[in-house]
Amino acid sequence: MVIEAKSLHKRYGGIVAVKSLDFGVEKGRCYGLVGPNGAGKTTTMKMIYCIVLPTSGSLRVFGLDVLSHPRQIKARLGVVPQENNLDPDLTTWQNLMVYARYFGLPRPLARRRCQEQLDFMDLSDRAGTPVPDLSGGMKRRLIMSRALVNDPELIILDEPTTGLDPQVRHLIWDKLLELKDRGITLLLTTHYMDEAQKLCDEIIIMDQARRVDVGSPTELIRRHLPPYVLEARAGRRLAADILGRFPEISHQESGQSLYFYGSAATDFDGILAAWPRVEHVLRPASLEDVFLKLTGREIRA
Amino acid sequence: MRNGLLSITPAFFKVWLRNAQVYVALLKFNIIPALVEPMLFIFVFGLGLGSYISEIEGVPYVKFVAAGILGSASIMQATFECTYGSFFRMKIQNTFEGMISTPISAGEVGLAEILWGASRGFFNSVLVLSALLFLGIIDHWQAVFAPLLMFLAAFNFAALAILVTSRIAQMEYFRFYFAGFVLPAQFLCGTFFPISRFPEPVQLFAWVIPFTSYVDITRSLMLDRLSWKLGLEALYALATTLLFTEIAVRSMYRRLVT
Repeated sequence: MVIEAKSLHKRYGGIVAVKSLDFGVEKGRCYGLVGPNGAGKTTTMKMIYCIVLPTSGSLRVFGLDVLSHPRQIKARLGVVPQENNLDPDLTTWQNLMVYARYFGLPRPLARRRCQEQLDFMDLSDRAGTPVPDLSGGMKRRLIMSRALVNDPELIILDEPTTGLDPQVRHLIWDKLLELKDRGITLLLTTHYMDEAQKLCDEIIIMDQARRVDVGSPTELIRRHLPPYVLEARAGRRLAADILGRFPEISHQESGQSLYFYGSAATDFDGILAAWPRVEHVLRPASLEDVFLKLTGREIRA
Repeated sequence: MRNGLLSITPAFFKVWLRNAQVYVALLKFNIIPALVEPMLFIFVFGLGLGSYISEIEGVPYVKFVAAGILGSASIMQATFECTYGSFFRMKIQNTFEGMISTPISAGEVGLAEILWGASRGFFNSVLVLSALLFLGIIDHWQAVFAPLLMFLAAFNFAALAILVTSRIAQMEYFRFYFAGFVLPAQFLCGTFFPISRFPEPVQLFAWVIPFTSYVDITRSLMLDRLSWKLGLEALYALATTLLFTEIAVRSMYRRLVT
Protein backbone atom coordinates (compact mmCIF):
# COMPACT_ATOMS: atom_id res chain seq x y z
CA MET A 1 0.00 0.00 0.00
CA VAL A 2 1.35 3.41 -0.97
CA ILE A 3 -1.32 5.31 0.97
CA GLU A 4 -3.46 4.02 3.79
CA ALA A 5 -6.07 6.26 5.42
CA LYS A 6 -8.10 5.02 8.36
CA SER A 7 -10.99 7.03 9.80
CA LEU A 8 -9.17 10.18 8.78
CA HIS A 9 -10.64 13.42 10.15
CA LYS A 10 -9.79 17.03 9.52
CA ARG A 11 -11.51 19.86 11.32
CA TYR A 12 -10.78 23.58 10.93
CA GLY A 13 -12.32 25.26 13.95
CA GLY A 14 -15.97 24.31 13.67
CA ILE A 15 -15.80 23.21 10.04
CA VAL A 16 -15.36 19.55 9.24
CA ALA A 17 -13.37 19.27 6.02
CA VAL A 18 -12.82 15.51 6.01
CA LYS A 19 -14.83 13.03 8.02
CA SER A 20 -14.04 9.37 8.81
CA LEU A 21 -12.36 8.81 5.49
CA ASP A 22 -11.01 5.34 4.71
CA PHE A 23 -9.15 4.46 1.58
CA GLY A 24 -6.09 2.71 0.28
CA VAL A 25 -3.88 3.36 -2.71
CA GLU A 26 -1.93 0.53 -4.29
CA LYS A 27 1.36 0.89 -6.05
CA GLY A 28 1.45 1.59 -9.78
CA ARG A 29 -2.20 2.48 -10.21
CA CYS A 30 -4.04 5.70 -10.86
CA TYR A 31 -6.62 6.92 -8.34
CA GLY A 32 -9.08 9.73 -8.80
CA LEU A 33 -10.67 11.77 -6.05
CA VAL A 34 -13.85 13.30 -7.39
CA GLY A 35 -16.55 15.35 -5.72
CA PRO A 36 -18.19 18.77 -5.75
CA ASN A 37 -16.19 21.83 -4.70
CA GLY A 38 -15.73 21.79 -0.94
CA ALA A 39 -16.06 18.01 -0.69
CA GLY A 40 -12.66 17.69 0.99
CA LYS A 41 -10.53 16.54 -1.94
CA THR A 42 -7.81 19.17 -1.69
CA THR A 43 -7.65 18.86 2.10
CA THR A 44 -7.21 15.10 1.73
CA MET A 45 -4.40 15.61 -0.77
CA LYS A 46 -2.67 18.18 1.42
CA MET A 47 -2.76 15.76 4.34
CA ILE A 48 -0.98 13.23 2.13
CA TYR A 49 1.80 15.64 1.27
CA CYS A 50 2.02 16.71 4.88
CA ILE A 51 1.08 20.38 4.78
CA VAL A 52 -2.27 19.84 6.47
CA LEU A 53 -2.21 17.87 9.71
CA PRO A 54 -4.97 15.31 10.34
CA THR A 55 -7.11 16.07 13.40
CA SER A 56 -7.57 12.37 14.13
CA GLY A 57 -7.40 8.98 12.49
CA SER A 58 -4.33 7.57 10.81
CA LEU A 59 -2.69 8.35 7.51
CA ARG A 60 0.32 6.44 6.30
CA VAL A 61 2.21 7.18 3.10
CA PHE A 62 4.88 4.64 2.01
CA GLY A 63 4.13 2.99 5.36
CA LEU A 64 5.23 6.15 7.23
CA ASP A 65 3.03 8.23 9.48
CA VAL A 66 2.40 11.73 8.11
CA LEU A 67 2.72 13.30 11.56
CA SER A 68 6.09 11.81 12.42
CA HIS A 69 7.84 11.50 9.04
CA PRO A 70 6.81 14.40 6.80
CA ARG A 71 10.31 14.99 5.43
CA GLN A 72 10.87 11.37 4.42
CA ILE A 73 7.44 11.19 2.79
CA LYS A 74 7.78 14.46 0.88
CA ALA A 75 11.18 13.39 -0.47
CA ARG A 76 9.50 10.52 -2.33
CA LEU A 77 6.53 12.27 -3.88
CA GLY A 78 5.80 14.89 -6.51
CA VAL A 79 3.07 17.49 -6.15
CA VAL A 80 1.16 19.34 -8.86
CA PRO A 81 -0.89 21.91 -6.93
CA GLN A 82 -4.17 23.40 -8.03
CA GLU A 83 -2.78 26.92 -8.17
CA ASN A 84 0.28 27.97 -10.12
CA ASN A 85 3.15 28.52 -7.70
CA LEU A 86 6.01 28.84 -10.17
CA ASP A 87 8.64 31.44 -9.43
CA PRO A 88 7.80 34.34 -11.77
CA ASP A 89 11.20 35.99 -11.32
CA LEU A 90 13.07 32.93 -12.59
CA THR A 91 13.30 31.12 -15.91
CA THR A 92 11.89 27.71 -16.73
CA TRP A 93 15.27 26.09 -16.16
CA GLN A 94 15.91 27.94 -12.90
CA ASN A 95 12.50 26.93 -11.58
CA LEU A 96 13.43 23.29 -12.05
CA MET A 97 16.94 23.63 -10.65
CA VAL A 98 15.68 25.40 -7.52
CA TYR A 99 13.39 22.44 -6.83
CA ALA A 100 16.12 19.93 -7.56
CA ARG A 101 18.10 21.73 -4.86
CA TYR A 102 15.21 21.54 -2.39
CA PHE A 103 15.28 17.79 -2.93
CA GLY A 104 19.00 17.74 -2.28
CA LEU A 105 20.05 16.38 -5.68
CA PRO A 106 23.77 16.75 -6.41
CA ARG A 107 24.32 19.29 -9.18
CA PRO A 108 25.23 16.97 -12.10
CA LEU A 109 22.25 14.73 -11.33
CA ALA A 110 20.01 17.79 -10.94
CA ARG A 111 21.03 19.05 -14.37
CA ARG A 112 20.40 15.69 -15.97
CA ARG A 113 16.98 15.29 -14.32
CA CYS A 114 15.86 18.81 -15.20
CA GLN A 115 16.85 18.29 -18.83
CA GLU A 116 15.05 14.91 -18.90
CA GLN A 117 11.89 16.42 -17.47
CA LEU A 118 11.96 19.36 -19.87
CA ASP A 119 12.28 16.90 -22.75
CA PHE A 120 9.54 14.71 -21.32
CA MET A 121 7.06 17.60 -21.18
CA ASP A 122 8.20 19.05 -24.55
CA LEU A 123 9.59 22.22 -23.01
CA SER A 124 13.26 21.95 -24.01
CA ASP A 125 13.09 24.97 -26.29
CA ARG A 126 11.72 27.07 -23.42
CA ALA A 127 14.51 26.50 -20.89
CA GLY A 128 15.58 30.14 -20.88
CA THR A 129 12.10 31.65 -20.96
CA PRO A 130 10.98 33.68 -17.93
CA VAL A 131 7.85 32.19 -16.41
CA PRO A 132 5.54 35.15 -17.16
CA ASP A 133 6.23 34.63 -20.89
CA LEU A 134 4.95 31.05 -20.85
CA SER A 135 1.40 30.24 -21.94
CA GLY A 136 -1.04 28.68 -19.47
CA GLY A 137 -0.44 25.24 -20.95
CA MET A 138 3.34 25.61 -20.76
CA LYS A 139 3.14 26.70 -17.12
CA ARG A 140 1.11 23.61 -16.33
CA ARG A 141 3.64 21.41 -18.13
CA LEU A 142 6.46 23.11 -16.25
CA ILE A 143 4.72 22.40 -12.94
CA MET A 144 4.45 18.75 -14.05
CA SER A 145 8.16 18.66 -14.94
CA ARG A 146 8.98 20.18 -11.58
CA ALA A 147 6.96 17.50 -9.78
CA LEU A 148 9.14 14.89 -11.49
CA VAL A 149 12.67 16.16 -10.75
CA ASN A 150 13.02 14.01 -7.63
CA ASP A 151 11.97 10.86 -9.52
CA PRO A 152 8.90 10.40 -7.27
CA GLU A 153 7.19 7.09 -6.50
CA LEU A 154 3.86 8.85 -6.06
CA ILE A 155 2.56 11.92 -7.86
CA ILE A 156 -0.30 13.95 -6.44
CA LEU A 157 -2.13 16.16 -8.92
CA ASP A 158 -4.84 18.61 -7.91
CA GLU A 159 -6.97 19.33 -10.99
CA PRO A 160 -4.09 18.90 -13.43
CA THR A 161 -6.00 19.94 -16.56
CA THR A 162 -8.44 22.58 -15.34
CA GLY A 163 -8.54 25.52 -17.73
CA LEU A 164 -6.37 23.95 -20.42
CA ASP A 165 -7.09 23.56 -24.11
CA PRO A 166 -7.84 20.07 -25.51
CA GLN A 167 -4.34 19.71 -27.02
CA VAL A 168 -2.60 20.22 -23.69
CA ARG A 169 -5.15 18.08 -21.86
CA HIS A 170 -4.45 15.19 -24.22
CA LEU A 171 -0.70 15.70 -23.88
CA ILE A 172 -0.97 15.64 -20.09
CA TRP A 173 -3.17 12.52 -20.20
CA ASP A 174 -0.61 10.77 -22.41
CA LYS A 175 2.21 11.70 -20.07
CA LEU A 176 0.30 10.56 -17.01
CA LEU A 177 -0.45 7.20 -18.60
CA GLU A 178 3.21 6.91 -19.53
CA LEU A 179 4.21 7.59 -15.92
CA LYS A 180 1.74 4.97 -14.75
CA ASP A 181 3.27 2.45 -17.16
CA ARG A 182 6.62 3.11 -15.49
CA GLY A 183 5.09 1.94 -12.21
CA ILE A 184 4.54 5.36 -10.64
CA THR A 185 1.44 5.68 -8.49
CA LEU A 186 -0.89 8.57 -9.35
CA LEU A 187 -3.52 10.28 -7.26
CA LEU A 188 -5.47 13.09 -8.87
CA THR A 189 -8.55 15.20 -8.37
CA THR A 190 -10.65 16.31 -11.27
CA HIS A 191 -14.01 17.78 -12.12
CA TYR A 192 -13.93 16.20 -15.57
CA MET A 193 -15.53 12.78 -15.48
CA ASP A 194 -14.19 11.93 -18.93
CA GLU A 195 -10.72 12.54 -17.53
CA ALA A 196 -11.40 10.38 -14.48
CA GLN A 197 -12.82 7.62 -16.66
CA LYS A 198 -9.88 7.75 -19.04
CA LEU A 199 -7.06 7.83 -16.49
CA CYS A 200 -8.23 6.26 -13.28
CA ASP A 201 -8.24 2.60 -12.31
CA GLU A 202 -10.05 3.47 -9.13
CA ILE A 203 -12.30 6.38 -8.26
CA ILE A 204 -13.13 7.67 -4.81
CA ILE A 205 -16.26 9.79 -4.83
CA MET A 206 -16.41 12.33 -2.00
CA ASP A 207 -19.23 14.59 -0.93
CA GLN A 208 -19.60 16.81 2.13
CA ALA A 209 -16.34 15.63 3.69
CA ARG A 210 -17.19 11.94 3.36
CA ARG A 211 -16.45 9.10 1.01
CA VAL A 212 -19.62 8.27 -0.88
CA ASP A 213 -18.35 5.30 -2.87
CA VAL A 214 -15.25 3.80 -4.37
CA GLY A 215 -14.60 1.55 -7.34
CA SER A 216 -13.41 1.36 -10.93
CA PRO A 217 -15.34 3.55 -13.40
CA THR A 218 -17.17 0.58 -14.91
CA GLU A 219 -17.92 -0.89 -11.47
CA LEU A 220 -19.36 2.40 -10.29
CA ILE A 221 -21.56 2.74 -13.34
CA ARG A 222 -22.78 -0.83 -13.06
CA ARG A 223 -23.43 -0.47 -9.34
CA HIS A 224 -25.48 2.68 -9.52
CA LEU A 225 -27.17 2.87 -12.90
CA PRO A 226 -28.72 0.77 -15.65
CA PRO A 227 -26.55 0.82 -18.77
CA TYR A 228 -28.63 3.25 -20.87
CA VAL A 229 -29.68 6.83 -20.39
CA LEU A 230 -32.17 8.85 -22.36
CA GLU A 231 -31.60 12.50 -21.77
CA ALA A 232 -34.58 14.55 -22.90
CA ARG A 233 -35.07 18.27 -22.93
CA ALA A 234 -38.66 18.81 -22.02
CA GLY A 235 -40.45 21.82 -20.63
CA ARG A 236 -42.21 21.43 -17.30
CA ARG A 237 -45.60 20.61 -18.80
CA LEU A 238 -44.26 18.05 -21.24
CA ALA A 239 -42.16 16.54 -18.45
CA ALA A 240 -45.22 16.09 -16.25
CA ASP A 241 -47.00 14.52 -19.21
CA ILE A 242 -44.19 12.06 -19.95
CA LEU A 243 -43.73 11.12 -16.32
CA GLY A 244 -47.48 10.59 -15.97
CA ARG A 245 -47.58 8.14 -18.86
CA PHE A 246 -44.41 6.21 -18.09
CA PRO A 247 -44.21 6.06 -14.32
CA GLU A 248 -42.50 2.66 -14.40
CA ILE A 249 -39.27 3.93 -16.02
CA SER A 250 -36.74 5.11 -13.45
CA HIS A 251 -35.86 8.75 -13.94
CA GLN A 252 -34.39 11.94 -12.51
CA GLU A 253 -35.33 15.56 -13.16
CA SER A 254 -32.86 18.38 -13.34
CA GLY A 255 -33.67 21.85 -14.58
CA GLN A 256 -34.91 21.53 -18.14
CA SER A 257 -33.74 17.95 -18.51
CA LEU A 258 -35.21 14.57 -17.77
CA TYR A 259 -32.96 11.56 -17.39
CA PHE A 260 -34.49 8.12 -17.96
CA TYR A 261 -32.54 5.00 -17.09
CA GLY A 262 -33.04 1.67 -18.81
CA SER A 263 -31.38 -1.74 -19.13
CA ALA A 264 -31.77 -1.72 -22.93
CA ALA A 265 -31.93 1.00 -25.54
CA THR A 266 -35.37 -0.30 -26.50
CA ASP A 267 -36.74 0.59 -23.06
CA PHE A 268 -37.28 4.11 -24.28
CA ASP A 269 -39.13 3.20 -27.50
CA GLY A 270 -42.49 4.03 -25.90
CA ILE A 271 -41.39 7.51 -24.86
CA LEU A 272 -39.84 8.30 -28.21
CA ALA A 273 -42.87 6.99 -30.10
CA ALA A 274 -45.24 9.13 -28.03
CA TRP A 275 -43.12 12.29 -28.36
CA PRO A 276 -41.16 11.88 -31.56
CA ARG A 277 -40.13 15.51 -31.62
CA VAL A 278 -38.71 15.78 -28.12
CA GLU A 279 -35.08 16.90 -28.16
CA HIS A 280 -33.09 13.96 -26.82
CA VAL A 281 -29.85 11.99 -26.60
CA LEU A 282 -29.77 8.25 -26.12
CA ARG A 283 -26.39 7.13 -24.75
CA PRO A 284 -24.67 4.66 -22.46
CA ALA A 285 -24.64 5.64 -18.78
CA SER A 286 -21.48 7.51 -17.87
CA LEU A 287 -19.45 8.28 -14.80
CA GLU A 288 -20.91 11.77 -14.88
CA ASP A 289 -24.39 10.30 -14.41
CA VAL A 290 -23.14 8.33 -11.41
CA PHE A 291 -21.46 11.41 -10.00
CA LEU A 292 -24.59 13.49 -10.33
CA LYS A 293 -26.76 10.74 -8.95
CA LEU A 294 -24.58 10.32 -5.85
CA THR A 295 -23.77 13.95 -5.16
CA GLY A 296 -27.03 15.47 -6.37
CA ARG A 297 -27.78 17.58 -9.40
CA GLU A 298 -28.50 20.72 -7.47
CA ILE A 299 -25.77 23.31 -6.95
CA ARG A 300 -24.58 23.81 -3.42
CA ALA A 301 -22.69 26.79 -2.18
CA MET B 1 10.35 22.10 20.47
CA ARG B 2 9.22 20.13 17.44
CA ASN B 3 8.64 23.09 15.16
CA GLY B 4 11.02 25.67 16.59
CA LEU B 5 14.68 26.36 15.94
CA LEU B 6 15.75 22.94 17.20
CA SER B 7 13.88 21.30 14.30
CA ILE B 8 15.85 23.23 11.67
CA THR B 9 18.20 21.35 9.34
CA PRO B 10 20.82 22.87 7.02
CA ALA B 11 18.24 22.48 4.22
CA PHE B 12 16.89 25.90 5.22
CA PHE B 13 19.82 27.49 3.44
CA LYS B 14 18.39 26.35 0.08
CA VAL B 15 15.50 28.74 0.60
CA TRP B 16 18.01 31.54 1.31
CA LEU B 17 19.77 30.60 -1.95
CA ARG B 18 16.51 30.86 -3.88
CA ASN B 19 15.96 34.37 -2.53
CA ALA B 20 19.55 35.34 -3.34
CA GLN B 21 19.07 34.02 -6.89
CA VAL B 22 15.99 36.19 -7.40
CA TYR B 23 17.81 39.17 -5.81
CA VAL B 24 20.67 38.82 -8.28
CA ALA B 25 18.22 38.47 -11.17
CA LEU B 26 16.68 41.80 -10.13
CA LEU B 27 19.94 43.40 -8.96
CA LYS B 28 19.56 46.83 -10.50
CA PHE B 29 16.16 47.25 -8.89
CA ASN B 30 17.62 46.30 -5.54
CA ILE B 31 20.90 48.16 -5.20
CA ILE B 32 20.19 51.68 -6.39
CA PRO B 33 17.00 52.48 -4.42
CA ALA B 34 18.54 50.94 -1.31
CA LEU B 35 21.27 53.58 -1.40
CA VAL B 36 19.00 56.56 -1.92
CA GLU B 37 17.41 56.67 1.53
CA PRO B 38 20.63 56.59 3.59
CA MET B 39 22.32 59.09 1.27
CA LEU B 40 19.36 61.39 1.73
CA PHE B 41 19.63 60.94 5.50
CA ILE B 42 23.32 61.83 5.46
CA PHE B 43 22.55 64.87 3.39
CA VAL B 44 19.53 66.07 5.37
CA PHE B 45 20.51 65.17 8.92
CA GLY B 46 24.27 65.15 8.70
CA LEU B 47 25.17 67.99 6.42
CA GLY B 48 21.94 70.04 6.40
CA LEU B 49 20.68 69.88 9.96
CA GLY B 50 24.21 69.13 11.17
CA SER B 51 25.45 72.55 10.12
CA TYR B 52 23.19 74.04 12.83
CA ILE B 53 24.35 71.57 15.47
CA SER B 54 28.00 71.91 16.15
CA GLU B 55 28.56 68.88 18.35
CA ILE B 56 26.67 66.11 20.08
CA GLU B 57 28.37 64.22 22.91
CA GLY B 58 31.66 65.77 21.91
CA VAL B 59 31.68 64.77 18.22
CA PRO B 60 30.50 66.56 15.07
CA TYR B 61 26.84 65.72 14.47
CA VAL B 62 27.47 64.00 11.14
CA LYS B 63 29.80 61.53 12.89
CA PHE B 64 27.31 60.99 15.70
CA VAL B 65 24.46 60.31 13.29
CA ALA B 66 26.43 57.91 11.04
CA ALA B 67 25.65 54.87 13.22
CA GLY B 68 21.97 55.82 13.30
CA ILE B 69 21.82 56.11 9.53
CA LEU B 70 23.51 52.74 9.10
CA GLY B 71 21.10 51.22 11.60
CA SER B 72 17.93 52.70 10.24
CA ALA B 73 18.83 51.75 6.66
CA SER B 74 19.52 48.15 7.69
CA ILE B 75 16.39 47.60 9.74
CA MET B 76 14.26 49.17 7.03
CA GLN B 77 15.67 46.81 4.40
CA ALA B 78 15.06 43.80 6.64
CA THR B 79 11.59 44.96 7.60
CA PHE B 80 10.41 45.62 4.05
CA GLU B 81 11.85 42.31 2.87
CA CYS B 82 10.17 40.29 5.62
CA THR B 83 6.84 42.10 5.59
CA TYR B 84 5.76 42.96 2.05
CA GLY B 85 8.37 40.71 0.41
CA SER B 86 7.65 37.62 2.48
CA PHE B 87 3.90 38.16 2.47
CA PHE B 88 3.97 38.41 -1.31
CA ARG B 89 5.90 35.16 -1.60
CA MET B 90 3.62 33.48 0.92
CA LYS B 91 0.18 34.65 -0.09
CA ILE B 92 0.32 35.94 -3.65
CA GLN B 93 2.93 33.73 -5.32
CA ASN B 94 2.32 30.66 -3.14
CA THR B 95 6.08 30.17 -3.13
CA PHE B 96 6.16 28.90 0.44
CA GLU B 97 3.52 26.26 -0.19
CA GLY B 98 5.62 24.95 -3.06
CA MET B 99 8.71 24.83 -0.88
CA ILE B 100 7.05 22.94 1.95
CA SER B 101 5.72 20.37 -0.52
CA THR B 102 9.37 19.30 -0.84
CA PRO B 103 11.52 18.03 2.06
CA ILE B 104 11.92 21.64 3.26
CA SER B 105 9.94 22.27 6.47
CA ALA B 106 7.78 25.29 7.25
CA GLY B 107 10.06 26.32 10.12
CA GLU B 108 13.01 26.25 7.74
CA VAL B 109 11.19 28.55 5.35
CA GLY B 110 10.57 30.95 8.27
CA LEU B 111 14.20 30.94 9.40
CA ALA B 112 15.49 31.30 5.83
CA GLU B 113 13.27 34.32 5.28
CA ILE B 114 14.58 35.90 8.49
CA LEU B 115 18.17 35.17 7.52
CA TRP B 116 17.49 36.59 4.09
CA GLY B 117 16.05 39.80 5.54
CA ALA B 118 19.07 40.09 7.81
CA SER B 119 21.37 39.50 4.84
CA ARG B 120 19.77 42.33 2.95
CA GLY B 121 20.30 44.58 5.95
CA PHE B 122 23.92 43.45 6.00
CA PHE B 123 24.53 44.10 2.27
CA ASN B 124 22.95 47.48 2.72
CA SER B 125 25.11 48.42 5.68
CA VAL B 126 28.24 47.49 3.70
CA LEU B 127 27.12 49.81 0.90
CA VAL B 128 26.29 52.65 3.25
CA LEU B 129 29.49 52.19 5.24
CA SER B 130 31.51 52.42 2.02
CA ALA B 131 29.72 55.64 1.16
CA LEU B 132 30.38 57.05 4.64
CA LEU B 133 34.03 56.09 4.32
CA PHE B 134 34.18 57.82 0.95
CA LEU B 135 32.66 60.96 2.47
CA GLY B 136 35.33 60.97 5.17
CA ILE B 137 32.86 60.43 8.02
CA ILE B 138 34.57 57.31 9.40
CA ASP B 139 37.51 57.90 11.73
CA HIS B 140 38.18 54.57 13.43
CA TRP B 141 39.04 51.15 12.00
CA GLN B 142 36.62 49.46 14.43
CA ALA B 143 33.86 50.59 12.08
CA VAL B 144 34.53 47.45 10.01
CA PHE B 145 32.53 45.57 12.65
CA ALA B 146 29.52 47.79 12.12
CA PRO B 147 28.00 45.63 9.31
CA LEU B 148 28.13 42.61 11.61
CA LEU B 149 26.12 44.49 14.23
CA MET B 150 23.79 45.73 11.53
CA PHE B 151 23.31 42.14 10.44
CA LEU B 152 22.17 41.26 13.97
CA ALA B 153 19.93 44.32 14.25
CA ALA B 154 18.40 43.48 10.88
CA PHE B 155 17.99 39.87 12.03
CA ASN B 156 16.06 41.13 15.04
CA PHE B 157 13.72 43.19 12.88
CA ALA B 158 13.39 40.46 10.27
CA ALA B 159 12.26 38.05 12.99
CA LEU B 160 9.65 40.51 14.25
CA ALA B 161 8.50 41.14 10.69
CA ILE B 162 8.12 37.41 10.00
CA LEU B 163 6.14 37.09 13.21
CA VAL B 164 3.76 39.80 11.98
CA THR B 165 3.65 38.36 8.45
CA SER B 166 2.74 34.92 9.76
CA ARG B 167 -0.19 36.35 11.74
CA ILE B 168 -1.98 38.70 9.36
CA ALA B 169 -4.66 37.97 6.79
CA GLN B 170 -4.05 40.87 4.44
CA MET B 171 -1.15 43.16 3.62
CA GLU B 172 -2.90 46.32 4.85
CA TYR B 173 -2.17 45.32 8.44
CA PHE B 174 1.48 46.11 7.80
CA ARG B 175 0.54 49.79 7.94
CA PHE B 176 -0.29 49.38 11.63
CA TYR B 177 3.03 47.65 12.19
CA PHE B 178 4.99 50.36 10.43
CA ALA B 179 3.16 53.24 12.08
CA GLY B 180 2.97 51.63 15.50
CA PHE B 181 6.40 50.08 15.78
CA VAL B 182 8.88 50.36 12.92
CA LEU B 183 8.83 54.13 12.49
CA PRO B 184 8.90 54.89 16.23
CA ALA B 185 11.81 52.47 16.57
CA GLN B 186 13.60 54.07 13.65
CA PHE B 187 13.43 57.51 15.29
CA LEU B 188 13.29 56.88 19.04
CA CYS B 189 16.12 54.40 19.47
CA GLY B 190 18.96 56.87 19.58
CA THR B 191 19.41 56.88 15.84
CA PHE B 192 19.41 60.64 15.20
CA PHE B 193 20.03 62.09 18.66
CA PRO B 194 20.80 60.74 22.14
CA ILE B 195 17.82 59.26 23.93
CA SER B 196 18.88 61.01 27.15
CA ARG B 197 16.91 63.96 25.73
CA PHE B 198 13.63 62.06 26.19
CA PRO B 199 11.45 61.95 29.31
CA GLU B 200 12.25 58.85 31.37
CA PRO B 201 9.29 56.66 30.32
CA VAL B 202 10.23 57.17 26.67
CA GLN B 203 13.85 56.35 27.46
CA LEU B 204 12.73 53.14 29.11
CA PHE B 205 10.58 52.26 26.11
CA ALA B 206 13.54 52.92 23.83
CA TRP B 207 15.85 50.65 25.83
CA VAL B 208 13.29 47.83 25.74
CA ILE B 209 13.57 47.82 21.95
CA PRO B 210 16.81 45.92 21.25
CA PHE B 211 17.54 48.24 18.35
CA THR B 212 18.60 50.91 20.85
CA SER B 213 21.33 48.60 22.10
CA TYR B 214 22.47 47.72 18.59
CA VAL B 215 22.71 51.39 17.62
CA ASP B 216 24.52 52.26 20.85
CA ILE B 217 27.09 49.49 20.40
CA THR B 218 27.65 50.41 16.76
CA ARG B 219 28.08 54.07 17.59
CA SER B 220 30.48 53.31 20.42
CA LEU B 221 32.54 51.19 18.05
CA MET B 222 32.59 53.81 15.33
CA LEU B 223 33.57 56.54 17.77
CA ASP B 224 36.00 54.26 19.64
CA ARG B 225 34.25 54.57 23.02
CA LEU B 226 34.03 51.05 24.33
CA SER B 227 32.78 50.37 27.85
CA TRP B 228 31.57 47.46 29.99
CA LYS B 229 27.97 48.65 29.72
CA LEU B 230 28.04 47.59 26.09
CA GLY B 231 28.47 43.94 27.12
CA LEU B 232 25.13 44.02 28.90
CA GLU B 233 23.51 45.68 25.94
CA ALA B 234 24.94 43.05 23.60
CA LEU B 235 23.65 40.28 25.83
CA TYR B 236 20.16 41.79 25.92
CA ALA B 237 20.12 42.42 22.17
CA LEU B 238 21.26 38.90 21.30
CA ALA B 239 18.90 37.21 23.74
CA THR B 240 15.86 39.07 22.43
CA THR B 241 16.89 38.41 18.84
CA LEU B 242 17.08 34.70 19.58
CA LEU B 243 13.75 34.78 21.37
CA PHE B 244 11.98 36.65 18.57
CA THR B 245 13.44 34.21 16.05
CA GLU B 246 12.21 31.17 17.95
CA ILE B 247 8.70 32.65 18.23
CA ALA B 248 8.65 33.75 14.58
CA VAL B 249 9.79 30.36 13.28
CA ARG B 250 7.08 28.56 15.25
CA SER B 251 4.50 31.07 14.17
CA MET B 252 5.42 30.60 10.51
CA TYR B 253 5.09 26.84 10.96
CA ARG B 254 1.58 27.28 12.34
CA ARG B 255 0.68 29.58 9.47
CA LEU B 256 1.89 27.23 6.74
CA VAL B 257 1.00 23.81 8.18
CA THR B 258 -2.62 23.87 9.24
